[in-house]
Amino acid sequence: MSGGAAGAPKPLPSSGPKSLREMPHPLATSSSEEMGPALTPSPDLLLPRSIADKDLSLPNGTPVDTSSPASSSSLLNRLQLDDDLDGETRDLFVTVDDPKKHVCTMETYITYRVTTKTTRAEFDLPEYSVRRRYQDFDWLRNKLEESQPTHLIPPLPEKFVVKGVVDRFSEEFVETRRKALDKFLKRITDHPVLSFNEHFNVFLTAKDLNAYKKQGMALLSKMGESVKYVTGGYKLRSRPLEFAAIGEYLDTFSLKLGTIDRIAQRIIKEQLEYLVELREYGPVYSTWGALEVELSEPLEGLSACIGNCCTALEELSEDMTEDFLPVLREYILYSESMKNVLKKRDQVQAEYEAKLEAVALKKEDRPKVPTDVEKCQDRVECFNADLKADMERWQNNKRQDFRQLLMGMADKNIQYYEKCLTAWESIIPLLQDKPETK
Amino acid sequence: MESAEAEPSDSRPEEDGAAPRSGLPPPEQPVATMEDCLAKKMEITVSEAEKRTGRNAMNMQETYTAYLIETRAVESQSEGQCAPVDSLWRRYSEFELLRNYLSVTYPHIVVPPLPEKRADFVWHKLSADNMDPDFVERRRIGLENFLLRVASHPVLCQDKIFYSFLTQEGGWKEMVNETGFQLKADSRLKALNATFRVKNPDKRFTELKHYSDELQSVISHLLRVRARVADRLYGVYKVHGNYGRVFSEWSAIEKEMGDGLQSAGHHMDVYAASIDDILEEEEHYADQLKEYLFYAEALRAVCRKHELMQYDLEMAAQDLTSKKQQCEELATGTVRTFSLKGMTSKLFGQETPEQREAKIKVLEEQIQEGEEQLKSKNLEGRDFVKSAWADIERFKEQKNHDLKEALISYAVMQISMCKKGIQVWTNAKECFSKM
Repeated sequence: MSGGAAGAPKPLPSSGPKSLREMPHPLATSSSEEMGPALTPSPDLLLPRSIADKDLSLPNGTPVDTSSPASSSSLLNRLQLDDDLDGETRDLFVTVDDPKKHVCTMETYITYRVTTKTTRAEFDLPEYSVRRRYQDFDWLRNKLEESQPTHLIPPLPEKFVVKGVVDRFSEEFVETRRKALDKFLKRITDHPVLSFNEHFNVFLTAKDLNAYKKQGMALLSKMGESVKYVTGGYKLRSRPLEFAAIGEYLDTFSLKLGTIDRIAQRIIKEQLEYLVELREYGPVYSTWGALEVELSEPLEGLSACIGNCCTALEELSEDMTEDFLPVLREYILYSESMKNVLKKRDQVQAEYEAKLEAVALKKEDRPKVPTDVEKCQDRVECFNADLKADMERWQNNKRQDFRQLLMGMADKNIQYYEKCLTAWESIIPLLQDKPETK
Repeated sequence: MESAEAEPSDSRPEEDGAAPRSGLPPPEQPVATMEDCLAKKMEITVSEAEKRTGRNAMNMQETYTAYLIETRAVESQSEGQCAPVDSLWRRYSEFELLRNYLSVTYPHIVVPPLPEKRADFVWHKLSADNMDPDFVERRRIGLENFLLRVASHPVLCQDKIFYSFLTQEGGWKEMVNETGFQLKADSRLKALNATFRVKNPDKRFTELKHYSDELQSVISHLLRVRARVADRLYGVYKVHGNYGRVFSEWSAIEKEMGDGLQSAGHHMDVYAASIDDILEEEEHYADQLKEYLFYAEALRAVCRKHELMQYDLEMAAQDLTSKKQQCEELATGTVRTFSLKGMTSKLFGQETPEQREAKIKVLEEQIQEGEEQLKSKNLEGRDFVKSAWADIERFKEQKNHDLKEALISYAVMQISMCKKGIQVWTNAKECFSKM
C-alpha cells in the first residue's frame, strides 16, 4: 500500500463545522495512463491526510487533475470495481435504531439513533452516535440532490402521513419508518461517491445539526456548482438511445410495481375479511362441543385449532403490510426521482447542444472550441458517466432487493402454512381418540 | 327383540300381515342383526341421474330429475359369477313418499333423512339451482346414502314397501297408498297441542328434544359461517392469480430477473387455480354435517310422538277418572264436583230411578272400556319408550362415529391444503432465488 502525503499532520478532532474544502471528485481525473486497472480506489487505504489539503485526490491518495475532460470508460471501470464491496473491504458502517418519542411544548416527534463505525480518514473519530429526526433525513436528502445532481439519490419513506388514518406513533409505523431510514443511509454508505459527501459526513457526526444547517454553508463540489442549473430554457431534441431506454424502462417498471402494490393490498384486504369469518367459525365448534359428550373434546380441539390458524393469518397480514408494501413504495419513489435525474441530464445536454449550435452559427474561423462549450461538453460526459454507473449499480441492487423481498414474501406464506399444518396435524390424534383409552 | 333366522339371499323378508297399530311396532316385527341387514345381502347404488320432462298431476309440463337405482344380490365369492343387476328409475318425490311412509309406520325409529330438496347454505360460487349438475350429483350421492342407511337399519331394512321401492318399478305408489299410512299420520296441530299440554313426559325425551333443537341450531350456524369462510378463501386465492400476469409483464423488461419472475408467476397461477378442487372437497364435509342437521329433525319427530302418546294417555286417564266420578255421584246422589248436568238436573228436576240406572249402566260400560283402553295405552306407551330408546342409543353411537369420521376427514383436507400451499410457495421461492 503506497502512502499518500507522508508526514502530513494528523487531523485534529473537531466538533464544529468543517472548513471549506474541495471534494475529491473521482471523475475529475487526468489521463488514464496514470492509473492502471490494478489501481483500485480501495477505501480501506486509510492514510492520514491533511484536512487543509487543497489538492484534489482520489480516496487512495492519487493526485488528480481537473482540467481536462473526463475519460469515461476507465472511470466507469474504476467505479464498477467499487460495486462489490463485501464486508471485508467496507470501512463505513451506519445503523439506524432505537426510536424514541420526544414530547415538547410545541410538538411531539420521534428521533432515531444513528450509529457510525468507520476507519475512514474523513471522520475524526472511529465511532459516532447521534440522534436524528425525520426532517434531518429530509434535509440530508435535499442537500445530496443539490450537491450531487448527477447521481441517483435513494428515496426516503413518505413524508406526509394522513393524520387520523395512520398513527404516527404506533410501534408498527415507527418500526417501518426506521427500517426505511436505515436502508436509506445504507444505500448512501454503499455509494462510492455519495458516501464521501460532506453533508453526509456532518449528518453522521455533528452533535448539533441545526446549527450546521443554519450556517447554510454551500459546500458544493466543483461539479455540483457547475451543474447547478438554469430553470430550463433549453429543449432537448432527442434523448440518446441508451437514456431513452432507461426512461422507458423506469416507466414500465414503476407501472408494474404500482400494479403489484395494488394486488398485494387487495390480498391483505381479502385475508382480513377471511379472518373475520374464521373468527366466528372457530367458536361455533366450541358451542357444539358443549352440547355433546363423546364429541366434546374433538370439537373443542377443532375450535382451538382454527383459533391457531387465525393467529397465523394475522401474523402473515401484518408482515406483508409492514415489510412488503413499504419496499414496493420505496422503489416507486426511487423510480420517480431517477426519472427527474434523467430530465436534468437532458437539460445539460440541451444546453451543450444549444451552445454548440450558437457557435456553429457564428461561423467564425474555428481557432479552438470555446471553453464555455468545452465545459458544457465536460458536464454532459460526466453526467452521462455518473448516471450510467449509478444505473448499473442500481439495477444490481434492485435485483438483490427484489430477490430478497419476494423470497421473503414466499417465506412468510410458507411459514403461515407450516403453522396451520402443525395445528391440524396435532388434532388428528385427538379426533381419533377412543373414549375407552382415556 | 328376537332376530329372525338368517335367510338365504334370494328370499324376501317376512310378510307383515296385519298393519301395525298406531305407535306400536308390529308384534312379530322381525329385527335383523347387523349381518342380516339388507345392506349386506344386496348391493344398492344410485348410479345415474337424468333430466326428464313429463306431465304432472295438473297436466302441466314439468322438468324433473330421475335417479337410477341399481340393485344386485351379493353372491358368495366362490361362485365366480356376478348376479345380474336390477335397476329402476325413481324421482325425488317418490323418495319423499317412501320416507313419509317409514316415518308414520315406524314412529319409534329415528328415520334417516333425505338430502335437501333445494340447495341451501350455498356460497357464491355454487349454484342454488336444482338443475345444476353439481347439485344433482351431490343429491345423487345423498339419495344413495339414504337408501344405504335404511338398508342397514335392523328394523327398517325388513320393510316390504322399502324392498319394493328398490325392486318393483310399476305400481309401487299404489302399493304404498294402499297401506293407508296417511290416515295414521298424526296431525301437526294435534302434536303441537300435545307438546304444550303434556304433564309428565319421560324426562329423557324432554332432554333429547332440547338436545335436537340445540343441535339443529348449532349445525345451521356452522354451515352458514362455513359457506362465508369458503367464499372469502376463494377470494384470497383468486387474487393471487393477478400476480401471474403482472410478473409475466414485468419479466419482459428485465434481463437477469426475467426468468425467475416468469416462472414464479406460473406458480401463482397454479396456486389460484388450486382453490376450486379444495372447496369442492369441502362440500362433502358440509353434506355430512347437513345429514345430521336433518337427522335432528328425525329425533324431534320421535320425541313428538312420545309426547303425543303420553298426552293421549293422560287424557284417557283423566277421562276415566271423571267418568268414574260421575258414576259415583249418580250412584250415591251426591254431587262432589260441579257439573253442568248436575246443575241442570237440579234445576229441571231429578231423573227417575230408571233413567239413573240406565245412565249408570252406560257409564259402567264406558268405564270398563276405558280401563281396558288405558291399560293398552299404558302398554303401548311403555313399549314405545323402550323400543324408541333402543333405537336412539343406536343412533347416538352412529352419530358419534360418523361425525368423528367427518371431522377427521375435514382435518385431513385442511392438512392437504396446507401442504399444497407450502409446495407452491416453496416452488415460487426457488424461482425468486434464481432472480
